[in-house]
Amino acid sequence: MTDPLRRSLPLTSRPGNGILFRRNGESIAVGRFLADVAALAARLPPRTHALNLCADRYNALLAFAAALSRGQVVLLSSDRSERRLAEISAAYPDLALLVDAEIEAVRGEAPWEPPPGAIRVAPLAIPRPDGPNPRIPLDQVAVIGFTSGSTGRPAAHPKTWETLVAATVAAGERFGLQGGADIVATVPPQHMYGFETTIMLPLHVPTTSHAGPCFYPVEVAEALHAAPGPRVLVSTPLQLRALLGAGTAMPPIEAVISATAPLDPALAAAVEAGWNTRMLEIYGATEMGSIASRRTLEGDCWTLYRNVSLRQAKDMPDGTEALVEGMAAPVPLADAVELKEGSQFRLLGRRTDIVKLGGKRASLASLNRILLGIPGVEDGVFAVPEDLDRNPSARLAVFAVAPGLTAEAILAALRREIEPVFLPRVVTLVPALPRDAVGKLPRAALEGLRRQVAGLA
Amino acid sequence: MSSALAIESEVASLIVEALHLETRAEEIDPDAPLFGEGLGLDSIDALEIALAISRRYGFQLRSDDERNGQIFASLRNLAAHIEKHRQR
Repeated sequence: MTDPLRRSLPLTSRPGNGILFRRNGESIAVGRFLADVAALAARLPPRTHALNLCADRYNALLAFAAALSRGQVVLLSSDRSERRLAEISAAYPDLALLVDAEIEAVRGEAPWEPPPGAIRVAPLAIPRPDGPNPRIPLDQVAVIGFTSGSTGRPAAHPKTWETLVAATVAAGERFGLQGGADIVATVPPQHMYGFETTIMLPLHVPTTSHAGPCFYPVEVAEALHAAPGPRVLVSTPLQLRALLGAGTAMPPIEAVISATAPLDPALAAAVEAGWNTRMLEIYGATEMGSIASRRTLEGDCWTLYRNVSLRQAKDMPDGTEALVEGMAAPVPLADAVELKEGSQFRLLGRRTDIVKLGGKRASLASLNRILLGIPGVEDGVFAVPEDLDRNPSARLAVFAVAPGLTAEAILAALRREIEPVFLPRVVTLVPALPRDAVGKLPRAALEGLRRQVAGLA
Repeated sequence: MSSALAIESEVASLIVEALHLETRAEEIDPDAPLFGEGLGLDSIDALEIALAISRRYGFQLRSDDERNGQIFASLRNLAAHIEKHRQR
């Protein structure tokens, strides 16, 4: 029984005929979705947590909604590696694994066999027109997102239903979506940014998400063409550069939104000119969700969503923390910021220990610790390329002192410990690192070393 | 050199150029996986390769191309896929 004193909000605030999703040429209305949710919820085993690995975006929404309606906490992770699944099962032993058929066709990956006991998620074969709209307690933990923690182990970041709904409504207002929009996204539903914009948004703002492959430029263009609009493209600097580079013809697009990494203003200008649209950016992090936005070409000031405020952190002289509606504790920002009038701020650059690649963050200190932990590595360091913040395909490099090891052996050892995106593109073996008197490695010295090695090779 | 070998070495060079790899093209094992264990590429690289392929060979990669995992399973498979779909 639901506790009558526990405040709650419905799963969706959309009317039954509102179009929630487009999938395989079909428009899926709220009523049909609710019937799909009820049917899946009835099939779920009684567990405390559910890992939502669904590759199809509509299935990912169904898995989330059904688990939520059963009071289960949904874990957002798209990492299906054996190691990660074992870690998650160890941390959350009472776990349901939710998968779909589409998962096996994910690009570039070996065919994947779900572990026994995994629940297959799919819409009803024969659609039903309506189902109950469950009420979800505001203080229920709805999802847990993960970041690479300072120890190299992913850290868990829970979000209540209240936090998610408040952020969704704030985003809908910020981007003027109350009149309706078709959202085509290149980011996976398990990434916090993709989850907010394509799973949460259609539940409480009259937007329509798109299910189906949306990775390669031609697919993105086709998905946009198929949407009646107004169209919004949710993407990343990397994808936008690929889309522009492919020269694919685009239908009219109301707005393009980018997140996960700073957007080069030149790329923003090319998007606005090429597609005759507005290029917007979201600032956020898995720990707190999206908290601010800007139009890239209008300058470097970000405007906070109305569910968020920023303040100087008490214990960190150059630190700032975010107060997010529905979250009990303030969240420290990974970047140094300058607070401005009203709800605006400027980013002063990332705090130096954090690197961000492919929408994921890692601490350099922890990457270096992993490198130094490899037997045979006497000294070593991860080097960050100068253009990391501008070049979406920039990668890390490693310099190592390891007389008995080959570069391949070091790479193989790193591969067992760290996420692929943080693997060094180049491992350079050197006789010694140019450490200064206090043992630090000035960037210029590393750059000199890199040139020297390249010249000798 | 047979035409299959010729396209394989051409695609190997394309990958090395597109991704700025330190590996030499002729060092890429034609049967080793491009992603994960073998060459260690990931989805960021998949996009770069897709872009280079569309420029050089005039066609676009798709996620539902007869199982994308197969195409990227090895240099040999990728080269065969390109040979089959190239427009130029």
